[in-house]
Amino acid sequence: MPLLDVKDLKAGYGPVNVLDGMHLHVDQGEFVVMLGANGAGKTTTMRAISGLIPRHGSIVFEGHDIHKASADSIVRSGIAQVPQGRGTFPELSVEDNLLAGAYVRHGGDGVHDDMDKWFAVFPRLAERRAQRAGSLSGGEQQMLAIARALMSRPKLLLCDEPSLGLAPLITQELFAVLERLNRDEGLSVLLVEQNANLAMHIANRVYLLETGQIVASGSAEELGADDAIRKAYLGF
Amino acid sequence: MKSLATIREGGAANWAFRIAATVVVFALVLYVPTKTGAGTIQTAIEALVLMGAAMSLNLLLGYTGQISIGHSAFLGMGAYTTGILVSRYGWSPWYTFPVAFVLSFALGVIVSFPASRIKGVYLALVTLALALVFPQVVTWKKLSWLTGGGSGLPTKDAQVADTGFNIGAASRGQMQYFEIFGWNPLGDLRKPDNKAAFWYWIAVGVVVIIYLVCRGLVKSRVGRSMVAIRDNETAAAVMGVNLVATKAFVFGISAGLCALPGCVTAIKTGGVSPEGIQSLTVRGAITFLIVMVVGGAGSLWGPIIGAAVYVYVTDITGGWASDEAIPGVLRPFFGWAKIPPSDGIFAVLLIVLMFVAPRGLVGVWRQYSPRIVRVLPRPAGTTGAAPVAIAATITNTHSEGEHE
Amino acid sequence: MELFFQRLIDGLSQGSVYSLIALGLVIIYRGTGHLNFAQGEMALFCAYCVYQFGEWGIPVWIALVLGMAVGFAVGAASEVTLVRPISKKSPFAVFVVTLGLFTFLNWLDGAIWGNQQLPNSGVGSKQQSYPSLFPNAPDDFWQPFGVTIRYERAGILALVLVITALLFLLFNKTKFGLAMRAVASNTESAKLAGIRTNTVLMVSWGLAAAIGAVGGVVIAGLNSNVNLGLMFTVFIYGSAAATLGGFDSPIGAVLGGLIIGVVENMASGYAQEWIGQDMKLSVAFMVILVVLLFKPSGLFGTAKVERV
Repeated sequence: MPLLDVKDLKAGYGPVNVLDGMHLHVDQGEFVVMLGANGAGKTTTMRAISGLIPRHGSIVFEGHDIHKASADSIVRSGIAQVPQGRGTFPELSVEDNLLAGAYVRHGGDGVHDDMDKWFAVFPRLAERRAQRAGSLSGGEQQMLAIARALMSRPKLLLCDEPSLGLAPLITQELFAVLERLNRDEGLSVLLVEQNANLAMHIANRVYLLETGQIVASGSAEELGADDAIRKAYLGF
Repeated sequence: MKSLATIREGGAANWAFRIAATVVVFALVLYVPTKTGAGTIQTAIEALVLMGAAMSLNLLLGYTGQISIGHSAFLGMGAYTTGILVSRYGWSPWYTFPVAFVLSFALGVIVSFPASRIKGVYLALVTLALALVFPQVVTWKKLSWLTGGGSGLPTKDAQVADTGFNIGAASRGQMQYFEIFGWNPLGDLRKPDNKAAFWYWIAVGVVVIIYLVCRGLVKSRVGRSMVAIRDNETAAAVMGVNLVATKAFVFGISAGLCALPGCVTAIKTGGVSPEGIQSLTVRGAITFLIVMVVGGAGSLWGPIIGAAVYVYVTDITGGWASDEAIPGVLRPFFGWAKIPPSDGIFAVLLIVLMFVAPRGLVGVWRQYSPRIVRVLPRPAGTTGAAPVAIAATITNTHSEGEHE
Repeated sequence: MELFFQRLIDGLSQGSVYSLIALGLVIIYRGTGHLNFAQGEMALFCAYCVYQFGEWGIPVWIALVLGMAVGFAVGAASEVTLVRPISKKSPFAVFVVTLGLFTFLNWLDGAIWGNQQLPNSGVGSKQQSYPSLFPNAPDDFWQPFGVTIRYERAGILALVLVITALLFLLFNKTKFGLAMRAVASNTESAKLAGIRTNTVLMVSWGLAAAIGAVGGVVIAGLNSNVNLGLMFTVFIYGSAAATLGGFDSPIGAVLGGLIIGVVENMASGYAQEWIGQDMKLSVAFMVILVVLLFKPSGLFGTAKVERV
């Protein structure tokens, strides 16, 4: 049984459905990358899974259908999302951002240990722990957003274009951290990207999304081997 | 949507309906002063004053999207202009109308400059403060040489004792007849009914003038700029609308027009003070806003309908503070209240309308009247209708578009 | 010099009332970006309730707590039933609804308690004057260095400072306070962190109205009666305080209130001839206007007043 199993998902804004019946799944411990152009529905997919927008269809997480659950209870069930752009609380300090990330955890057990752990992973955040998040650089804010999401101890991490607006070097660093988390901690990841080159080589599996539908899926090697797909979608 | 009947725009049935509606309006306007007594006429004058104030506010809020809870100050400008010029300088009330318009226009333009930098509810806050400061300014002891201070106008040393066209009083200069080229339509003005009717016709004149100015403005180029500002200020600026100038102009016109019903109030009341005239206080300003939104913001007839309904309901329920006055069926609902229920009724109506029909009573009518009679727009190219005329109709529909 | 300190003390205690109204406005603004025009009238309703509890013989401090509970319920219910559903439409619709609430609450006060000021022996009030939280007999004062400090005024100032301190602890030291700050900072990220944003907003409105209730009771106590027009001007002073301090800064609201109280008292005292009691409100008006024109974010706020 997959960790996350999405079937016939329909969602959108107002009367228009951006997603019209899409299927995807993420297995336990898998690193799945979803590629697609602007407007393909990547962010909508993420928002629908996290319960930020109204949606129809079935979203089964660990055997429970969560397609009607509220955003906060979805977080409680173990899905954390790093939203597109800056998913931080700019007026709050770095520490408070992380504490807010641990909001769903009961009691204070291990919260500070976790905080130290993520400070070890992202040393630059540790240096700025008392600063307001809004004063951090773009890359630091993205790291903070990821650490904030991880503070809820999720089983599945959704990442919406973490590379957006970041310098290539920072992006590589960020992806290396995500890969390590996936490999060492067994964290399942569903990552959305526009930039195929960066994401393909760490993915176990890749989905290609176009106008609200999955048009191709498979391992990075399989998709890379298909000339037509490579030319049309991957650009290399 | 199904409707019981369908008629063509410009067809015989359509014209019959238009004529009937016009006849009804004229009959109502004529009925009040000729067939009812001074009491009813006075109530009708209140309604007319409220119509004028709400219509001028509508120009600013309904069409241009600028919130004001300060229009009581502009109405007060009118009332005090008339009060001061008549009671201190012995002017004829007729000449105070244009002066009040100009002064209030100027005040409106002055207010508009900060307003063009302050947006949304903050503008509401500033104008609310204006509404609260105005009564303090006119009762300020430093200004009592002009405004009469706390007791208002006219003061004991006034040259003329009564601002109300000085009719019915036995003193000098009293007006007994209103003659137009020897024709005396109203009779002896010393009789209360005739006196009230005289004021009534002045109020009707003011409302007609305000209506015509609003209509002319809304259907003009400026009107389209106003709606553009309301719907999307940034887009309007990009399209070449001069935001500061347009807002200043609309603020000025709106303020100037709002002064005119103030003049009427001063004439009718025969005295001016914030305690004597509630419309000069913040309660007045809120009432204008409620009347406008309930009637239908951004439509020409909205404030008229709203004011008529408001004054009618307030008048009917005015005595309901005592249980005996309440009709039997309604007594259990309103019997407990120690004050008349109209403010509560309108507050609830305002909130409910915001949920179900944000375009007010006029919006409700526009939404549901097609279920009874549907008017088909004139088809293009038939009956020799020139394209220009059709274009004009389309523009009209646009500029009459209501507030979202 | 003594006169100066006298006016300073009086101004501070007067201003502390404005701080309470401003705090309520700020708590709501931070959470939702709305300006609650009914804030003053919610406080007035609670002030009337406390008068009623006094009539029933309930001690004033218990009556105050009950009044705050009423305020909390009114505020929370308004958010859930009116403001939240209408805020999907437009900011203008929210404005109209809070204005409707303003009118409705004022009418409701009149409908229940009548339009004369209370307590009033004419309508059979048992109380002589509006219940005061602190001793306020004519000789209840200290006089250090020639400055008269009435127990009532000092008590009010102390009470406001205690409330401010409690709020500070709530915001900065509790999990719920963290959630409130998170929602104020970024609502969507707050949802993604698993915070029940709807609950936070409901409680924010309730809290704001409960704090406002204290303001209403205090101002009615200083005034020694409660009447339908009591809160109109207090609301404007409170708004001026919030504007001055910055609409999203609680500490700014408190300081803004104190500053306006002092300025108002100094202005009416030293410029008795020109401003005096009659023109005090123009001080608040000028503050609002000048701050919005030249520093819309206020003294302590972050600049995001303009919402497009």
